[in-house]
Amino acid sequence: MGRVAIIGVGHSKFGKRSDASLRELAFEAYSSALDDADIESSRIDGSVVCSATHYDKQRSPAGVVAEYLGLNPQPTFNIEAACASSAVGLRTAWALVSSKLHDVITVVGVQKMTELSNEEIQELMGRAGDVMWESPFGTTMPAYYAMYATAHMAKYGTTEEQMALVPVKNRKYGSKNPNAMFQKPITIEEVLKSRPVSAPLKLFDCCANADGAACLIIANAEKARKLTDRSVWVAGLGLASSPMSLAGRKGPMTSFEVTKNAAKAAYQMARISPNDVDVAEVHDSFSITEILNYEDLGFAKPGGGTRLLEKGETELGGKIPVNIDGGLISKGHPVGATGASQLFALAKQLRGEAGSTQVDGAKIGLAQNIGGIGMYSAVTILRA
Amino acid sequence: MGFEKFGRFGYVSQTKINPLLSYLEKGQIAATKCKKCGRTYFPPRADCLDDRHSGIEWVVLDGKSNLVTFTKVFFAPPAFQPETPYLLGLAELSNGLRVFAPISASVDEKQLKPGTELNLKVAKGARDNLFYWLE
Repeated sequence: MGRVAIIGVGHSKFGKRSDASLRELAFEAYSSALDDADIESSRIDGSVVCSATHYDKQRSPAGVVAEYLGLNPQPTFNIEAACASSAVGLRTAWALVSSKLHDVITVVGVQKMTELSNEEIQELMGRAGDVMWESPFGTTMPAYYAMYATAHMAKYGTTEEQMALVPVKNRKYGSKNPNAMFQKPITIEEVLKSRPVSAPLKLFDCCANADGAACLIIANAEKARKLTDRSVWVAGLGLASSPMSLAGRKGPMTSFEVTKNAAKAAYQMARISPNDVDVAEVHDSFSITEILNYEDLGFAKPGGGTRLLEKGETELGGKIPVNIDGGLISKGHPVGATGASQLFALAKQLRGEAGSTQVDGAKIGLAQNIGGIGMYSAVTILRA
Repeated sequence: MGFEKFGRFGYVSQTKINPLLSYLEKGQIAATKCKKCGRTYFPPRADCLDDRHSGIEWVVLDGKSNLVTFTKVFFAPPAFQPETPYLLGLAELSNGLRVFAPISASVDEKQLKPGTELNLKVAKGARDNLFYWLE
């Protein structure tokens, strides 16, 4: 039991959703979350709309999303923390309901990315880093993570073949997730032969831009107990920041301090250690990111992330199954929706409703969501 | 021209650290230093974090650096596509501060690894733009 519960979760199909607008994607996730919670929309007394708004055509999307969901005149606003937007949305909602300012609030993570031309997306991607000191040299999102990969390879002997184990694992589970953008498994050879994006990262080491929405219904303990007996409890919330500029960060660039700091806060609040986690969702924006995350979250020692993969410890049936909903690599990465999508997967696991990918007896779940090039990282721990 | 002259393709035009461009024009790379506590900043900052009201002065760097990590970019933002593929690096300067910079195409990339000694030098672009790179 805790002070704040997730009483319902919803998810749209992720991918190139040329059939739906931003508001309609949000409605799909919201409507399925209401069904899941078995409550009426009139119960919702506020909405936290999470998106990296520069990708959306709609400016200040909370306005139109709240209108389309029928959530006027209740308070609404946008939360933006790049790829970690909806994890930060949950943190915000936690504060709003545990303070009793709100009773039941919805966190809607949504992103409409594929409406932009490739040219527009690439231009935006170019400004993902420090726009004064790094973007003027032609940075990209993959370039930053590739630099961590280069450093990890040099220090620990990590190979491209080992990194390829991440997309191979995640795409295997993506094939079982009807909401995933990619539902076809891939082989190590296909990953290694895919075209270079930013060395050593290749196309299949990278997640894809996508459209989609995921939604959480959040309630304080009192309301949650009245409304449902299927609550999943928020046990730990960790959020940290790191310099946005790569030059402002210290150390050998083989780990994300920001994730270590967020994890420490979350473990402390939940009073658990990494060994207690039964199932995890970690930010696999790139293959190398998942490996670094294992190490930064304490699932493996520094440099030991690849060993965990090789031994199958992060597979279903392993010591700590990770991204067995397919991860960003299979689902696609509708930036603002990704954090809520991770929590959707954990809620299903902790309620024992994950079907063919159910982890037996899962009681504690952990989600880790990196924002942008690692300036934000959120770690959320949920309990059954 | 304002600060958009900085880089291969600059985005920001207005800043307090415009004097960097004058140093680059002279073939020098300069950092800022707090007049009171002496803390040095690179990339230059207009404001010292420790002595917020003391003002800053400019100091020229020797450019000696060691590579921390790097990548080769194949898929680039539109403004940079004519130059693909290109190398980007993170290096540590002799004063312990770090710089994010392109690596000159004249560098043999097979020799590159964390720890490789490189020099941060001024470079001029075709559009009269100025920047620095590792060579």
